[in-house]
Amino acid sequence: MNLTVNGVAHEVESSPLTPLLDVLREELGITGPKAGCHQGGCGACTVLVDGEPRRSCLMPVGYVDSGAITTVEGLGPPEDLSPIQQAFIHHYAAQCGFCTSGMLLAGQAYIDRGGTDDDGAIQSALGGHVCRCTGYSKIVDAVAAAARGDSFDLTETAVGKHTTMATGGAE
Amino acid sequence: MKVVGARIPRYDGVAHVTGRTAYVDDVRIPGTLWTKALRSPHHHAGITKLDTSKAEAMAGVHAVVTWQDVPLLEYGHLAALGIPADEPLLAKDEVRYKGQPIALVAAESEDLAAEAVSRIEIEFEERPALFDVREAFDAEAPQIHQEGNWYKHFEDEMDRRQIRKGDIGWAFENADTIVQGVYRPAAIEHCPVETQVCQVVPEPSGRLTIYSCTQALYFSMGVVAAHLQVPLNKLKVVGGTTGGGFGGKVDTATETMCCLLAMKSGRPVKWRWTREEEFLCSSTRAPWHMEIADAVSKDGWILGRKMLTLHDAGAYSRFSPYGLTKHSFHHTGAYTIPNLEFDGYVVYTNRTPTTAMRGFGVTSVSFAVETHMSRIADVLGLDPYEIRLKNANRIGDTSPNGIVYTDPSTVPTIQTIAESFGHELPADYRTMTSEPRTGDLLPEHLVAQTANPEEH
Repeated sequence: MNLTVNGVAHEVESSPLTPLLDVLREELGITGPKAGCHQGGCGACTVLVDGEPRRSCLMPVGYVDSGAITTVEGLGPPEDLSPIQQAFIHHYAAQCGFCTSGMLLAGQAYIDRGGTDDDGAIQSALGGHVCRCTGYSKIVDAVAAAARGDSFDLTETAVGKHTTMATGGAE
Repeated sequence: MKVVGARIPRYDGVAHVTGRTAYVDDVRIPGTLWTKALRSPHHHAGITKLDTSKAEAMAGVHAVVTWQDVPLLEYGHLAALGIPADEPLLAKDEVRYKGQPIALVAAESEDLAAEAVSRIEIEFEERPALFDVREAFDAEAPQIHQEGNWYKHFEDEMDRRQIRKGDIGWAFENADTIVQGVYRPAAIEHCPVETQVCQVVPEPSGRLTIYSCTQALYFSMGVVAAHLQVPLNKLKVVGGTTGGGFGGKVDTATETMCCLLAMKSGRPVKWRWTREEEFLCSSTRAPWHMEIADAVSKDGWILGRKMLTLHDAGAYSRFSPYGLTKHSFHHTGAYTIPNLEFDGYVVYTNRTPTTAMRGFGVTSVSFAVETHMSRIADVLGLDPYEIRLKNANRIGDTSPNGIVYTDPSTVPTIQTIAESFGHELPADYRTMTSEPRTGDLLPEHLVAQTANPEEH
């Protein structure tokens, strides 16, 4: 079987029923997608298959033979971050970071489909993703900012909609 | 100050959004074996037979370990504080919770390790199990723990955490009303998105490198060294990257067992729990049972509190005595009560052992105290904000364990909440400060307990 992952072609030796997640992580060594539950419940393993967000833990690799896969590593390297990656940094949308790759890819797919900065629509698009650090409002803020096409100052964290503390650093 | 009030970016933000943060599961060591555990299917049972020979004989299985392989089988998480050990690393002749590990296999693949576990021959003799902390505290309850149904090693070998303050008899004799309540918050699974995971590499030098998702690296280091009976310089623990913990990665869940497998097989070993194992076998926040009886005056003063707390340790004590101690110090919440009689017990059940979770021991009592404050207001027909402000901690008041408050925040907090909810307070409550009590807000029963903070 063949897979194109983040633009790089790979020949895959795993058997066709191997979950795509295990092929990516164990055979190809691409560790951005995380194994949170192996039962489609948490969203941490989400990748884009031909642009659509998919749970790689539930997807047999044979089902996506010859497909184009995007993982978090394909969104952008540290020196050339994509807008949604910048949005997540600026809006402090990652705490422990374990759900972040899935959230980023679901958010990217939402924006690619023409999604707006509407909170309800973003919540619906991310509805299958669990953030146990419970940073949801900042994640929604980040996706909304990327959808709007905001530009981001990565040297400081945004003032969120839900931020109540007094702002401004003391000298 | 360059940081306070500033909006600094996360130090690990770029790594998180590019998939470059290396969690334990992302560490790649060639030749790594996978681990699976034989766990107890019963809540409480004797082990009458354990034979691992068929698993050991399988091709691709490189190590099987049981209690016989552990140099120091029982070691307590708080042993360094003098709290006695009661939990075996691997069950020997008895299991006390469903999911308790009994034997471990390291094999070429996860599936092979699971197959080997299924070939271990084991027989049990089921015993009565207890799941409710109040039932376990009954004198007639079946005895489920080797030391009896509750922990008996507080200071001076007391079987409870006990607080006595003031004159509780006076408070109940002079009360207009006694307000009682029973509060029972349930267990909660921490449920980090990253399940328990560990990778251990036996180094040519004889040291063990331990990649750990622990929240408590030095705790884990000490626990591993004690079980293995090796000096700390034989262990290199790599930590600091945790895919969510919330208290659930304070106990040393995997590290010691992976070390044993690595030592026996001579190979790198990895153990990643399934989501099902995380739910069924990992520690949880404890269920608690709290009974409060307050002696109150009709104008809203709390003259005294009697409280019984039962803290469900699950099958073994681990950090529970510490959690109960914190709980006892906070059992008046943000309020001043001069006369106290508190008895708290760490009680064993056949649930998974319980542990820290976000405010260990304190969240339970805060829930009970705040619910009870509102209940008192209901019973007396008083305003729930005013009764809180009236009894609020003030400068010079003392905590249940005698600490003098020098900067209590109850008053401004309650005032801010009232304002946020548009609740109109009478002038004397609106202008109240944390300064020491005077006038009507220093009734006779509080005079004696009010200390001068200058003296401390």
